[in-house]
Amino acid sequence: MAKFIIRRFFLLLLTMFLVSIAVFMIVESSPGNIAKNVLGAFITPEQEASFLAQQGLDKPLLQRYWFWLLGSDRAAERKCGFKLERIETEAGFQEWWAKGENSTLMRWSLEGDDLIVQTKTPDNTIETAKDNERWKKAEDGSYIFWGVDRNNHAVLWVKGASNEVWNFVVGTGWIKSSGGPQSYIPLKKGFLRGDFGVSLRTGRPVEKSLFIRLRNSVVLAGIAFVVVMPLALLLGMAAGIREGSLQDRFLSIAGMVFSVIPEFATGIFLILIMSHWLELVPGASVFGEKAPWQRPDMLILPVLTLTLIELGYVLRITRASMAEVMRSAYIRTAFLKGLPFWQVIFRHAAKNALIAPITVIMLHVNWLMGGIVIVEVVFGYPGLGQYLLDSALYKDVNAIEAGTMIMVLLAVGTQLFADVLYTLLNPRIRYS
Amino acid sequence: MKNTLTILFSSKTATIGLILVLFWVFVALLAPYITSYGPTQQDWKASNQGPSIAHPLGTDELGRDLWSRLAHGARIVLIIMPISEKFWIPGGTAIWGVIAALFCGASLGLISGYKGGWADEIIMRFLDAMMSIPVILLYLIIVAALGASAVNVVIAIAIVGTPGVARLVRSLTLDIKTRDYVRAAETRGETLLYILFMEILPNAKGPIIIDAMLRVGYAIFAMGTLGFLGLGMPPPSPDWGSMVAKGREFILMGNPWASLWPSLAIASLVVGLNLLADGLREESMRYQ
Repeated sequence: MAKFIIRRFFLLLLTMFLVSIAVFMIVESSPGNIAKNVLGAFITPEQEASFLAQQGLDKPLLQRYWFWLLGSDRAAERKCGFKLERIETEAGFQEWWAKGENSTLMRWSLEGDDLIVQTKTPDNTIETAKDNERWKKAEDGSYIFWGVDRNNHAVLWVKGASNEVWNFVVGTGWIKSSGGPQSYIPLKKGFLRGDFGVSLRTGRPVEKSLFIRLRNSVVLAGIAFVVVMPLALLLGMAAGIREGSLQDRFLSIAGMVFSVIPEFATGIFLILIMSHWLELVPGASVFGEKAPWQRPDMLILPVLTLTLIELGYVLRITRASMAEVMRSAYIRTAFLKGLPFWQVIFRHAAKNALIAPITVIMLHVNWLMGGIVIVEVVFGYPGLGQYLLDSALYKDVNAIEAGTMIMVLLAVGTQLFADVLYTLLNPRIRYS
Repeated sequence: MKNTLTILFSSKTATIGLILVLFWVFVALLAPYITSYGPTQQDWKASNQGPSIAHPLGTDELGRDLWSRLAHGARIVLIIMPISEKFWIPGGTAIWGVIAALFCGASLGLISGYKGGWADEIIMRFLDAMMSIPVILLYLIIVAALGASAVNVVIAIAIVGTPGVARLVRSLTLDIKTRDYVRAAETRGETLLYILFMEILPNAKGPIIIDAMLRVGYAIFAMGTLGFLGLGMPPPSPDWGSMVAKGREFILMGNPWASLWPSLAIASLVVGLNLLADGLREESMRYQ
């Protein structure tokens, strides 16, 4: 058993690894241009090149993947010879600083031929000063310096060869400045060390928006789960008690019809009926800054849509399992020895009939996620699925990677959980 | 043939399913003859209208006839696959998606089942990993990456469908490869391709065909979903999913029809296919 779990666990890691590589390559090869997506269609080639260099997107694919996975701070430390440290400011921004002698933090900028150092002492006072002793003579006779700039990059400055830098400031427009470095390494800790990177679409760290979105999706899925499960198991058992009866045929066909209609069609039907014609509940879930549970009326239609879709699937599996149990010898024995009908159903049949559905439901999480993505788009619900869709259309690679990894982890994790649960519920199963 | 028809009509669900499917097949076949407007023909004086005599199902926000768009949408799903603006090939987009999935899946499944050993291990582990990824995620990433067009929708459907087909074909191959006629072919010194595609595959076709019927349903489902997410056919082609997505924006403006009809169309076609497959399976099991 332990061996089985370990094996599956490694398969999970392998899957995540392969998927992360695949996503990187697919995003790379896809049409469209992230610089144009972020900055608009009318940027000049110089502006585009400057933007790509600052984001580290001009580096080779393999190096970018490596930096994404394990972080770029070690590589940058080797280049500049300082320890680099990430701190969180009081305003909640992440800043990278180089750690100098007697633990002062330092960052630099270039003005003309002068290096300007910004130092931050442990009591949070910031001073600026000229710092020209840091220039080192390179082999070709020019003076160079690897340091940390004020925008979280490790950069290479060359004396007298300051590049033009284009920066886009929201509200102001393009600002052209000199003092530009020759080469950038955007600093990050890497996915494996808990840093998902910065979303190019929002300009904020991915984890800040991702986990709120994930929470919203989990709330939606959780409520739907709590509504669907008892209902589907009960109806499935009702259908399976007598195979071929009128209620069986009705429930099976209705369940099948609802489970094969695409989620967006079901959602549109419900919006039209419940919201447009009957005007009972709002037809969209727009929360703004609020959490979903603060507007429960907006959750009604998304939950109802998910319920209709999922109900049919679980119902059919429960029905099949129940019908099989009802044919077995021990049920016939229970009836023949004169036990009351409901006692046979609940004591003898239900207990055995529910093993299969419960584990199959866990495997179904894969499909449930698909349903949730669509339902989120239909109702404008701010969840993980919508986030992923927006990021994918935008080529925002850090956001896509993070969202994808979470979804794969959830899907494969629940499959593993289902297998373990199955052995607990049904001791006859042994994995080896 | 006669036997199949008997089975078909003795099941009420299969008959209803067949009627629904045939309805859409005929609409798709006859689309140019049963509509009085082109699918992209705009009538600026009559936008966002409800059903009327001039427009039996109403019009969308650009004044395009919904019935015409619906009928031509069925064509894209079932009858033709547009390659570029001018050029198309016969066979619906959903159908080609299933064919491509069957081809890739069957090849992998045959090799994996027949060869066994490390080839089997590598292929199956790889497909397991693919299967454990949420389907919607695969669709999203593939189509967002490749760009929205009929060919790319086919590629996405094929990639998503391949692992399932491969598993089925592999299990069938494992059974068939022990038969005497495969041994005989090996002894005759036939090539690997001949054994896989001429000896094993034809003998596994029964279950594969039933599986393929269900897959056409999934493919139409997927096409609709992709269109709805803005990843289907590029506008202005009459794609059901994108019609729903566009029409959704006009519900609040008082025109529910533009989103209602394509939703109904896709629902009825998918339900029809599933009723047909379900009824057939049940009846054929009863006959056995």
